[in-house]
Amino acid sequence: MSILLETRGLTKSFFGVPALRDVSLTIHEGRILGLIGENGAGKSTLMNVVDGVFPATDGSMFLRGLPYQPRSPADATGHGIAFIHQELNLFSNLTVAENIFVDAFPMRAGFIDRRSMRRETERLLASLDLEIAPDTLLDRLAPGERQLVEIAKALRSNPQLIIFDEPTSSLTARETERLFEVIRRLRDEGKTLIYISHMLSDVRALSDDIAVLRDGELVGSGPAEELDTSRMIELMIGRELAQLYPPKTAAPGRDPVLRVAAMTQPGVVQDVDLEVRAGEIVGLFGLMGAGRTELARMVFGLDEFAHGEIRIGGTLLRGQSPTDRIEHGMAFVTENRREEGLLMESTIADNIALVSLASYARTILRFVDAPKLSAVAQQMADDLQIKAHDIGGQPAKSLSGGNQQKVVIGKWLMRQPKLFVLDEPTRGVDVGAKYEIYSLMDRLAREGSGVLFISSEVEELMAMCDRILVMNRGEVSGEFGERPFKQDQLLRAAFREDLAA
Amino acid sequence: MRVVHLGAVAMASALFVGVSGSSAQAQTICFAFQDLETEFWVAGHKAITTTLEEKGVRVIERNGNEDANRQLEQVRDCIAQGVDGVIIIPQDGESAVTIVKESQENDVPIAVFNRPPSDLSRGLVVVADNETIAQQAVEFMAQKAIARFEVTGEKATPLIMVGDLGDPNAVGRRDGFFNVMEKYPQYFNDPIEVSTEWDAATALANLEAAVTANPDVDFLFTSSDFLFPTIRSVLEPRGKWLPAGQEGHVIMGGLDGDATACQLIKDGFVTATGVQDLFFEAEAAMDAILTAIDAGETQPNQVIEDPGFALTAANLDVREMDMWGCVLLAEGFLDQ
Amino acid sequence: MSTIESGSAPAQVGSKGWASPVRRVLLSEYFVLYLTIVYFLILLPFLPTLSNPQNLSNVLSNMWPLLAVAVGQTLVLTIAGIDLSQGSVIGLTSVVGAALIATAASSDVLSNSVLWGLVITEQGGLFAGKSWAVPAGIVAMLLVGALIGLINGIAVALLRMPPFMVTLVGLIAFGAFAIFLTQSENIRNLPDAYIALGKGDIVSVYLGEQSTPQIPRRQIYSFITYPMIISITLAVFAHFLLSRTMFGRHVYAVGANRRAAEISGVPAKRIIIQVFVFSAVCATIGGILFSARLEAGRPTLGEGTFLLDVIGATVIGGTSLFGGKGKIVWTFFGVLFFVLLSNTLNLMNLSSFHIDMVKGSVILAAALLDVTRRRLLAGGLA
Repeated sequence: MSILLETRGLTKSFFGVPALRDVSLTIHEGRILGLIGENGAGKSTLMNVVDGVFPATDGSMFLRGLPYQPRSPADATGHGIAFIHQELNLFSNLTVAENIFVDAFPMRAGFIDRRSMRRETERLLASLDLEIAPDTLLDRLAPGERQLVEIAKALRSNPQLIIFDEPTSSLTARETERLFEVIRRLRDEGKTLIYISHMLSDVRALSDDIAVLRDGELVGSGPAEELDTSRMIELMIGRELAQLYPPKTAAPGRDPVLRVAAMTQPGVVQDVDLEVRAGEIVGLFGLMGAGRTELARMVFGLDEFAHGEIRIGGTLLRGQSPTDRIEHGMAFVTENRREEGLLMESTIADNIALVSLASYARTILRFVDAPKLSAVAQQMADDLQIKAHDIGGQPAKSLSGGNQQKVVIGKWLMRQPKLFVLDEPTRGVDVGAKYEIYSLMDRLAREGSGVLFISSEVEELMAMCDRILVMNRGEVSGEFGERPFKQDQLLRAAFREDLAA
Repeated sequence: MRVVHLGAVAMASALFVGVSGSSAQAQTICFAFQDLETEFWVAGHKAITTTLEEKGVRVIERNGNEDANRQLEQVRDCIAQGVDGVIIIPQDGESAVTIVKESQENDVPIAVFNRPPSDLSRGLVVVADNETIAQQAVEFMAQKAIARFEVTGEKATPLIMVGDLGDPNAVGRRDGFFNVMEKYPQYFNDPIEVSTEWDAATALANLEAAVTANPDVDFLFTSSDFLFPTIRSVLEPRGKWLPAGQEGHVIMGGLDGDATACQLIKDGFVTATGVQDLFFEAEAAMDAILTAIDAGETQPNQVIEDPGFALTAANLDVREMDMWGCVLLAEGFLDQ
Repeated sequence: MSTIESGSAPAQVGSKGWASPVRRVLLSEYFVLYLTIVYFLILLPFLPTLSNPQNLSNVLSNMWPLLAVAVGQTLVLTIAGIDLSQGSVIGLTSVVGAALIATAASSDVLSNSVLWGLVITEQGGLFAGKSWAVPAGIVAMLLVGALIGLINGIAVALLRMPPFMVTLVGLIAFGAFAIFLTQSENIRNLPDAYIALGKGDIVSVYLGEQSTPQIPRRQIYSFITYPMIISITLAVFAHFLLSRTMFGRHVYAVGANRRAAEISGVPAKRIIIQVFVFSAVCATIGGILFSARLEAGRPTLGEGTFLLDVIGATVIGGTSLFGGKGKIVWTFFGVLFFVLLSNTLNLMNLSSFHIDMVKGSVILAAALLDVTRRRLLAGGLA
């Protein structure tokens, strides 16, 4: 078990703020290293130094025992290091083959040698068991297939070390499983892999070694079997975390806040009945495309539906307008934080204030009482412990995923809504922040709001919900009202027809 | 709209030739034109700079780029710089009135030429009499037609290419043409009117149609010389583009006197062109403004008529160099 | 650890000591104003006329109509739109207003016009001679402008058409309609009360000898004028609207992220329509000022490169073409810079060949500075 890459005392500062402190890490050849840490722990910084995106402020690296100082990502590639980024670097208007060769087209007599390009692409795709034609346009591929194309592109230069940054965040369970098979096979072929992820279960399942970063420091590393999940979490967040989930303190009340009856939109949802009571957390589970998000969007007045009734606190809602839903006390945390949840370029304070502007608008011209509003927003930010130094000057995009999600929730909390619809609220959020979001959810229920909690992670639903509805192909395929829930029952309901088929 | 551009070159050429003007001592004149991004600009610009050196009059040029508001701002900036006088070729008659007023209110004398303000009562205004000029050219053409009638005994079939009648220039030119036609009804059939809207493409389409309908057209007057290439492209395929003396020659004439027209007169295709005497106009504007400056007049008002003249094969020798188009031609303009 | 800190800290302090004032200027809200002042001071020794009171008075007076139009454009750009139809709104409304209020008209010029005999005759426009002619004419112009804005807004907000296309079509179609109305003629003989809106003085300054019996007109400089009052009032109103009201917050939200704003209950469609109406109304006010100073309703007003001046001044001011960022103060400075630029180019007595090249270069230099500044603002490291 020889050492492929070694860092010694690696340090990186941005404007005097250290992002990496004295990291000494060894990476063994032919193994999978799981690299974990909260957002901002320094995972990406470390990998960017390895990939030559920027140089370290101090410290050194050795590749197979020789000093290694990459000047650029291209230089790193030349040394046999490939980096597969979280945001895929692919062109959706080009073919698979063109994407794989986009930075080095094989040339022949001044023209692109398409034939050899296609042949080579076929070989690379075959090595990944990917049965698609090299001429397929990228935008026709599923996210999982795109991920594999990105890997094929990385494999083109026959790298010795492949770094994956959060590769599964947009993949379905099956696609993830397939990706893992590929990664394991690459390991078995002798490649070395670094796998960065939030998903501790993934890291556990895949890694041979695990390294944990916290606040730029390497706080633990070793063979995977020596670190169990709770130890990993402890190392990541720097304190003991007895559990992943906070204790439930809220108890459901009697009065229904939301009643959905016979909601139908052909091809999307079919005859869905749903009730959420005050103080109750109702889970909505299902596979991707089962109609969970679509149902939530209809309830919130974003998408149209053919028939059905929505009542908030007994009032029948008509029409299709989020503004109207908000007036009636509904709040919606969407699954797509970047595109639908936040004004990323606007300040944190502006984001928090957005929904409740009307309450602070005075006179006919609707002048906003800015001092009061910013005071209230600041209070909200403090209350939710949003980690920001200046909520009035800092854009939302500068926050970590977890803190961004808290801003979204805070925005809605300003109006003290009766019903919270949370669609995948913990997606792209690290463990510590997840815990805070769960606590927040519990607090909402305790304060009397109804919560509709949509998730594709069955564990979190089981931990947090009073009741879980499972959807399959637009219909409610199961309802479970008794804690503790049984995971196999939930999954069976979610897969119902697929198993039958 | 081509017609409008002529002034600057005339102006420039006038300066180039050397105007017998008033004694000028380091005077500054602001010359604001409406748009000169055309073939004439090169010659105009060169001549103005040459004159600067020769006469000791500093000329500040301003290109309004066909924007009346910009021209107003430019003249105001000129005035702020303390110029002694302003000469403008305005974008249109209405903005000319405003600019003249602006200048006079600031006690700076101003002269307008090439395109008259819609109110002639203020400023030094040089006005070309389009009707007279057209009449002179058409009269000369008519004499040729009458001579032909004496031989053949056949009445001529006249055709006029009419400009945009929203433009007073176009109306005057048309009137001049009809004055001659009405004078000699015994020699001419009813004239055919072809509308051009001062646009070569429109002219081409309408002329094609008119000549097809009236194949015996043998007398053609265009309200502007810039249409001669268009006319040629219609007549040549029909075998009607012939110099004087040949069987089937169409007696042709125009107005403006550009370089093409000058060449065509020399080659015998064109009989006459009415020329706005722009040398006279520019000279008159220059003289008037310099006189006003010398006299300390700040709001001089005067209308100066430009009688124009017809350049014909007969007077080409004498007056060739009075026509700006021929000057350009002599400088090799058409070779560029 | 300790060695690292001592190694990096002094470098940090050193770079801060040097970069800090530069950074502060570059990152300031008033950057474009500083730029304008620096530009003015650099050119002053070469162009002494620049600081001459009459010239300053010209610069100011050239600023007001452009400012009125640019204020509207600022709001549209802030919602990630663009309003090209402003040019045709200026031309069309100036014709409409002039046709209604002209005190006389010449049949020679206007008898081909579609409006001849219906709205305007030898005796002038429909409202001619009435005491309420000017205000009524202005109301009519504002209504026409607002209607065009409404059409644009509905097409963009409800039909979800791209603003560039919608307003480009508006620019072409309404511009052509204005030309059609008068058959490309201008309508003169506007009432004095209207003309005063374009150039009437309120405060003028005479800087000469006190004893002179008669003051020459060219030594009287207008500083406070009706157009100044009108434009500044509009700008101040828009400033408060954008920065202090709920409407303004909604405008920024729609521009930053329309979907997120809608989900947060912002009535995005209504906001978009209102912004386009506001933009067209601003263009109309600009049109009033332009047509009044030129003393004629002119269908071709606002044609040509005018829109580039409007959008150029707004963007140089700092308003983003991609939406979400825009301020009226920025636009004020941008317009000041643009107007000063044109003025200095006039004063340089450059040949017409060079003037636009120089103008392009100066704008490019300003844009480059601005890009640098934004990179700094975005916290661009290393």
